[in-house]
Amino acid sequence: MPLIIKDEYPEVLFREDGKRLDGREKNELRPIKMEVGVIKNADGSAYLEWGDNKIFAAVYGPREVHPHHLAKPDRGILRVFYRMATFSVFDRKRPAPGRREKEISMIISDCIEPILFLELYPGTSFEVFIEVINADGGTRCASTTVAALALADAGIPMKSLVSAVAVGKIDGKIVVDLSGIEDKAGEADLPCAITWYNKEISLLQFDGDMDLNEMSEFLDLAKDALGRIHQIQLEVLKSKFLTIQEKSDEIIVNKENQGES
Amino acid sequence: MENDKDQTEELDEFEDEETTRDLVVPGEVLTEDTKNFLPGRGTILNKERDKIISLSIGLKQIKKNYINVIPLRGFYTPRPGDKAIALVVDKNPVKYKCDINAKDYAQLKPKNTVRKGRIRGGRGKDFEQERLSTDKFDIGDILVVKILSADRLNKPELTTIGKYLGKKSNGIVISIDPPKIPRVIGRSGSMIKMLKNLTNCNIFVTQNGRIWLKGEDLAHERLVIESIYKIASEAHIVGLTDRMQEFIIKEKEKRGIK
Repeated sequence: MPLIIKDEYPEVLFREDGKRLDGREKNELRPIKMEVGVIKNADGSAYLEWGDNKIFAAVYGPREVHPHHLAKPDRGILRVFYRMATFSVFDRKRPAPGRREKEISMIISDCIEPILFLELYPGTSFEVFIEVINADGGTRCASTTVAALALADAGIPMKSLVSAVAVGKIDGKIVVDLSGIEDKAGEADLPCAITWYNKEISLLQFDGDMDLNEMSEFLDLAKDALGRIHQIQLEVLKSKFLTIQEKSDEIIVNKENQGES
Repeated sequence: MENDKDQTEELDEFEDEETTRDLVVPGEVLTEDTKNFLPGRGTILNKERDKIISLSIGLKQIKKNYINVIPLRGFYTPRPGDKAIALVVDKNPVKYKCDINAKDYAQLKPKNTVRKGRIRGGRGKDFEQERLSTDKFDIGDILVVKILSADRLNKPELTTIGKYLGKKSNGIVISIDPPKIPRVIGRSGSMIKMLKNLTNCNIFVTQNGRIWLKGEDLAHERLVIESIYKIASEAHIVGLTDRMQEFIIKEKEKRGIK
């Protein structure tokens, strides 16, 4: 007989001191750690730890399209493969791509497409493989963020980066960056992504129950959080080259010191 | 191999005086002064046409009134006239299919592999057959080729007729990121000259990120390979040639090779 564990969520999602269950403020993000160039065989790659989310992204391309009938004669195509590992969630996830994965792959692809110059590469494809190793709420936003980073690492010309974050409502209060429990037990959930070159919203989904008047408040909160995520992305991209530079600078400084002494 | 002259004609972009050490990333605003500056290579104007933004991760360069971004990562786009190292991956009686590290496989037609009228008795049936058959090279061969034609839509076409071109039967081929090739060549070939002089290796650098080399023995070749990888990883730092020279001399002492 299969083991059935009922989903049980806490009744209140705020602690007595007004903070959230994991000790965050309402507008506080989970700790984010990013890295680029983690997969050697890929043209570009990135790794992201966002709270308990652990996600790899690898980019290949431009290259030939397989199957060939998907190729467009006038422009390139962007294909995103979002997959979750079987061990990434509490119940074993069936490895075959399901409805949810196909949807998320599609929305990420649609979200990133406006920043690429696909018309310059007719008949080719850019492929982004996103592998979720550990999932804890907000993987579609985290995947979008890390996919943009991997594309930038591959040196594919792009207008800007993309950042994404989810805003939601739990226990009647608007919070940013929902964790797994908050996502399931909360009232509303609004993932949104932004393309920075024209500051346009590239992804906006909604699930749950909220007042339309609250929308602008949601978006203001998201804008603030997205700015912080964008800063981390920029720093990570630069840090790869800056660390090499610093090391060589150190060597030069050491030599000068030796020469003096 | 005396291909220095060809390579000096390549873009000396990395060692330009006005190349700053400013590292820029996609979407970064390079300047808001659009009256005095124009968007050059690797940059774009934004929608309101009041800012110049970078398209890729690279180094900012100001040349006259153009702002360029020299990419540090990227892929190879074939251009007519480029020299490339190709791997024959497939062949049929009509053409060879070659991997040149670009988005498409390139094709090499047999008429571009045999010089017309240069073979003794270059007339008659046998000659015509050689001109039109793909017996000259095998699958897996390494060829140094020149790109005859390349554009966005069609497959690039190659030739092996010309100076330094043809099959390579010895040596080692390594590959690095194509945007870092100008750095391996150095300003007017200074880096490549230094590598050749210090290690007595033959080195042939091609635009598609592949480098062919052959030295006296394995120790020298190994040193060259390590040096090239070091150049590639530190391509964005100024004063690289001097530091590489020091590195090679030091390593040679350490390893006890002349």
